[in-house]
Amino acid sequence: MSGLHEPQFACHVEDLTVSYRERPVLWDIDLDIPPGVMAAIVGPNGAGKSTLIKAILGLVKPVAGHVRIFGLPVDEARRRIAYVPQRQSVDWDFPATVRDVVLMGLYGQLGWFRRPSKADRARAMRALEEVGMQDYAARPISQLSGGQQQRAFIARALVQEAELLFLDEPMAGVDAVTEAAIVTLLKAQRDAGRTVVVVHHDLQTVSKYFDWLVMLNQRIIAQGPVSEVYSEANLRAAYGGQLALIGALASPDPETGENA
Amino acid sequence: MLNPTLVTVILAASLIGALAGVLGTFLVLRGQSLLGDVISHAALPGVVGGFLASGGRGFAAILAGALVSGALAGLTVQLLRRGAGVKADAALGTVLSLFFAAGVVLLSVAQLQPGAAGLTVFLFGQAASVLRADLLPMALVTLLVLGSVAVFWKEFQLITFDREAAQAQGLPVPLLETLLTVLIAITIVLGLALAGVVLMVALLIAPAVAARQWVRGLGPMVFLSAAIGILAGASGAFLSAIGDGVATGPVMVLMASLLTTLSLLFAPDRGVVARWMRQVRARKSLRGRQVLAALDGLRLDHQNPAYGSDQAMLDAYLGTDARPVLDRLQREGLIRAQAPVAPEARSTRWELTDAGIAQLAESGGRI
Repeated sequence: MSGLHEPQFACHVEDLTVSYRERPVLWDIDLDIPPGVMAAIVGPNGAGKSTLIKAILGLVKPVAGHVRIFGLPVDEARRRIAYVPQRQSVDWDFPATVRDVVLMGLYGQLGWFRRPSKADRARAMRALEEVGMQDYAARPISQLSGGQQQRAFIARALVQEAELLFLDEPMAGVDAVTEAAIVTLLKAQRDAGRTVVVVHHDLQTVSKYFDWLVMLNQRIIAQGPVSEVYSEANLRAAYGGQLALIGALASPDPETGENA
Repeated sequence: MLNPTLVTVILAASLIGALAGVLGTFLVLRGQSLLGDVISHAALPGVVGGFLASGGRGFAAILAGALVSGALAGLTVQLLRRGAGVKADAALGTVLSLFFAAGVVLLSVAQLQPGAAGLTVFLFGQAASVLRADLLPMALVTLLVLGSVAVFWKEFQLITFDREAAQAQGLPVPLLETLLTVLIAITIVLGLALAGVVLMVALLIAPAVAARQWVRGLGPMVFLSAAIGILAGASGAFLSAIGDGVATGPVMVLMASLLTTLSLLFAPDRGVVARWMRQVRARKSLRGRQVLAALDGLRLDHQNPAYGSDQAMLDAYLGTDARPVLDRLQREGLIRAQAPVAPEARSTRWELTDAGIAQLAESGGRI
């Protein structure tokens, strides 16, 4: 195995460029996320937020650049990463119970030919308890509400006990109570020493929820602790004219000083 | 009745039915039904080609030919989509027609050869064309395909439900997808002599759609779909064999469609009838609530908690005959009839019981 490259970062991205039909979607991305933070990736529609996560995970092939997870190429660090895709990316009419879906999080670790054991089932139940879904274990996933679907997906990621979590819009289309529960849950993950990276769409809540911020609009606009990065100049650079519509030019919340 | 030919036919049809049921489950859940149709239609030129190349109706040659042309069709679809940017359904439709047309032309040419008359059975299938000697290789291939599904069970489950999550966990998704598609192609090709290229795909889709109605998990769905496939295949082959000269494919498909229709209608929970009954029940309970609310409203209007509402008034207010609902509410103890107050009053006067008031409060109060 080659030596570690930039092992001090949970996630290190260098010169990453992704293009779709000759049109660059992400351009020359240099990104470093230190371990133990709860980071948000924000940017306008079409900024490439989901594509950035997918490129980091190797789901989208970049035309240039490289990615390191704790100093390792992503294929050698699969066990240390968990991924929560957008809820709408799957067909929820698939014949499976909530427990089945959570167990699927372990399929990569189990390796070929092995079925989930009793211990694995117990792990799945613990993950469901963490997201408050233990009573729904035997429920078919076709009967879940949007917020329950999201929590089942998060449980599928938690069961992997990974050090680095990527979540794509976990707060989209869930009610306020579920959103608060998800945030509490993710903060607990960070406090346990894990690194959480979230694609987020709501500028109003960025400084309340997160301590690290990446602003993206095909290029990296700014990255760093929320208190330093969440500024009017950066927002203007990322969102341009749309910013007036968003009306989110509050100065950083003083609360976040404790988090950063 | 059960002569050896019939036994052979039923055994072969059961094997194909089970196989189609299992692989069809994955085909349907992955939303690739049309791809299955392309592979089966596109097998025709391969079948004829295999026949011409081997100079006879050899099992292996025809199987290989069908697989090769099915694979070529799959590649052409990929080329049209990725290379030329044609939309998926258009690419599939075009390739299906193209390969089937080529197959029909080849078939006409091949029929000039001696002994080629039997090739037409591949269009709509003919159970009687399956020989006893074909059974053993068919059973072996079936075991191989089902064995592969068992071995890669959890991987196939994950790529079917959530392809990206499978990739993120490090599974070799393109390889697994190719394997699954090859297994589906083998299933289709194996069934061609029985069901025919035109209708084979229905034998994959119908049992899976039927099975989905009854189950909550992938495992049960696969087993039930296999059972439905066996039932449709065996009964279809049997009926076509005793009905001299009837093509087998259409009969099998009719049997499968019958089972699917029954499942779509009568399955608990997901069936049309079950859904309809849920709606009726909901409407009924709503009616009950409306009547309780009306009684409550009238008693408040009269500032008399013990006010009895005349049934004719309730009928007029609700715009319908309230009697059945009133009777039901009375049976449930939510309302009671009052003693008549005046001799000329003909219809009953109703008042809410304490249980009725509680029920109304629980269901969200007045409407």
